[in-house]
Amino acid sequence: MMDWAEESMARVAATREARIGHPGPKIEGEEARRLLDQFHPDHRGVERSIAVGKNAGTEKFPLELAALLEADSLLPEAFEPAIGIETDVLIIGGGGAGVSAALALQGSGLAVHLATKLRLGDSNTVMAEGGIQAALGEGDSPRRHFADAYVGGHGDNDSGLLKVLCESGPESIGWLIRQGCLFDRNADGTFRLRPGGGTSVPRVLACRDFTGLEIMRVLKEAVRQTPVTFLEEHAAVELTDDGAGQVTGAVLWDRKGQGLVTVSARAVLMATGGSGQLRLQGFPTSNHIGATGDGLVLAYRQGCGILFPGSHQYHPSGGVFPEALAGSLVTEAIRSTGAQVVNRDGHAFVNELAYRDVLAAAILREVSEGRGVETPTGRKGVWLDTPLIERKLGAGALKKQFPGLVHRYARYGIDPAVCPLLIYPTLHYQNGGIEVDAWGRTGVAGLWAAGEVTGGLHGSNRLMGNSLLDITVFGRRAAASMAQEIPVRKAVTLAGLSRYREALKKRPGFKAAGAGGPSAPGLFPEASQMKFKLVQEQAPAPQPGPETPPAFEPPDPFARG
Amino acid sequence: MQDPTVQFKYAGELVTARPGDTLLSALWAAGKGESMQAGCGGGVCGACTVSVRFADGRPGGTDLGCMRLVEEGMEVFPCPVEPAPAKTPASGPAPETLRASYPTLDRCTQCRSCTAACPMTIPVMDSVLRMQRGEWQAVAEDFTTCIHCGLCRMVCEDKVQPHNMGLWVRRSLALAEEEIPPVAADVEAREWDWLLAGDSGERLRRAEVFRREGRVPA
Repeated sequence: MMDWAEESMARVAATREARIGHPGPKIEGEEARRLLDQFHPDHRGVERSIAVGKNAGTEKFPLELAALLEADSLLPEAFEPAIGIETDVLIIGGGGAGVSAALALQGSGLAVHLATKLRLGDSNTVMAEGGIQAALGEGDSPRRHFADAYVGGHGDNDSGLLKVLCESGPESIGWLIRQGCLFDRNADGTFRLRPGGGTSVPRVLACRDFTGLEIMRVLKEAVRQTPVTFLEEHAAVELTDDGAGQVTGAVLWDRKGQGLVTVSARAVLMATGGSGQLRLQGFPTSNHIGATGDGLVLAYRQGCGILFPGSHQYHPSGGVFPEALAGSLVTEAIRSTGAQVVNRDGHAFVNELAYRDVLAAAILREVSEGRGVETPTGRKGVWLDTPLIERKLGAGALKKQFPGLVHRYARYGIDPAVCPLLIYPTLHYQNGGIEVDAWGRTGVAGLWAAGEVTGGLHGSNRLMGNSLLDITVFGRRAAASMAQEIPVRKAVTLAGLSRYREALKKRPGFKAAGAGGPSAPGLFPEASQMKFKLVQEQAPAPQPGPETPPAFEPPDPFARG
Repeated sequence: MQDPTVQFKYAGELVTARPGDTLLSALWAAGKGESMQAGCGGGVCGACTVSVRFADGRPGGTDLGCMRLVEEGMEVFPCPVEPAPAKTPASGPAPETLRASYPTLDRCTQCRSCTAACPMTIPVMDSVLRMQRGEWQAVAEDFTTCIHCGLCRMVCEDKVQPHNMGLWVRRSLALAEEEIPPVAADVEAREWDWLLAGDSGERLRRAEVFRREGRVPA
């Protein structure tokens, strides 16, 4: 299967015994800073400032994101919003943050609509593998959790947000269990806690290597039992406002009907997640197909600020081979369970539990200096010595603890219990995002935000297990804040967009979307070739009708009714 | 030299792809992305369910479009599955509450269609039999890797809902777990004051000390 790498794999196997108990060198302090400056993609200067909006001329943005923020709206210039749906709270995004918020709004008496571009639950949450942090172990405390995350985030974290996150950890695990999540336990019934990169004590709870899937499938089932109205396959293309700076709803694009639906809401929660599918600097991504940064674009047009727009997490262990798994996540828990990161010659060149940004930079250095391994399709990587886990913990340990990984690679004839895996950094997480306070308030009236779309909490580098906690904590806090401070209903206009468009038009070289210029949000990965399109400029609100099966499909003999 | 290509049929239409492409990446490259429902692209959301037939006559079946590689002459049909209505879990699973929520549990004819349909190689039918016998821990283990694509439910002639029952069992087990005792209202205000003092440089130095010591140094 991987005969082209046979020679290098033999060296990895030959050095394995000698490496046990001898992890690679720690890279810290000044040495880590130099490594990051030289090799981390965030530090390469592939960024620029932008000319419009709150961060104009100050913060630097990755080129791909800058282009989106300076692009025209998808809405035709002549579009006039006509309210099709009226609700109290509109949640945009069907991942962990949005669904946590929807659940927390139960009992508030508010009508809730949840709009999602794909299906409910299709998100980065469902793809999170390694776990969720909470200070539940011996010798641990929320303060220690804070200290680990603050050092990991290079002290760039908003310490107020981070304090709330860490203090809310244990209670959040309790909430998840009450929804029906099962976390791995030790034989004595206590939680099994694993270390993660940058944790000073074991603090990561998991459901094998399907932690995000466990959380999402449970929350999805729970929220389906509430009176929330779901607008699946409805992508937000613009926020509306009252003409005086308050967000009052959104214009959604119904992907199936290919029409536009205007929603009037008293409060809007932006929970659209990240932007890995922008594939910055050509990196592969571990993100779901909807992660195109839509929420950043829409909130920015309404005057929100974006913190750390140039800070992204390149997860050190993205798949390399086979091609079908390029960029897919190989969980960090594999490394905290003992798999080392080694180069072509079987040399452990860095401690496998270094902070994610440091480890990613070390791998990029190794590859760029010629000590990596190249696949037949020209991808490069270094080895993650997974058989070491079997050697340390006994045969079958890998399958027991990482059934997802084993199943995924088995499809392609690779058994990680026997064969090391090639890894290379993959674009994994948007560290920066919309500026919010500890209640998810954006500073723009009527608009809240929670989850990966926000910035500040994780500073410029996030620790493993803090994003699943983030969505659980801040999704629910935003819900509480919306319920507490729900504004009165105001007019639905596109005044904010018009102002932004006027500013865009002053830029030299600007081309309107109607004249063939670029438009945003992107909605889909570029590689998918899928595009926003309207059947007619302003379709009426969709009427649910009987589903007719597509012509190519035979009727389902087992269908109900 | 021309790059090698593979041809397959999707919903009756011929698609040309590169060897090594998944069905999803092949459809994207061919500009037919809208024809396949997709979510994560990484084999865990269950959006892109398909049925597959092979040209060489070996048995086909159901699978995920984002994980299945293209093969010459294969025929693929989209096979989207609608979610089933959610059912309230119990505090601790019991045979009568499971049967009350899912009355088709005992209709299983042991045909194994569900096991064959599962893209995650879960022993679905065996687990349905374990549900009939009330072997809850084993059921919870079986469904650890379930992505809720719904294929096992879709192929069942007798309307058994294996994956829904699997999640019901798991949630019911979780609801019976002991509450996590509330952390003694964080009395350690002194530690927070110490950690949060000073500018960000000072806080960073203090955090480095705290993570080594686990507390404020004496």
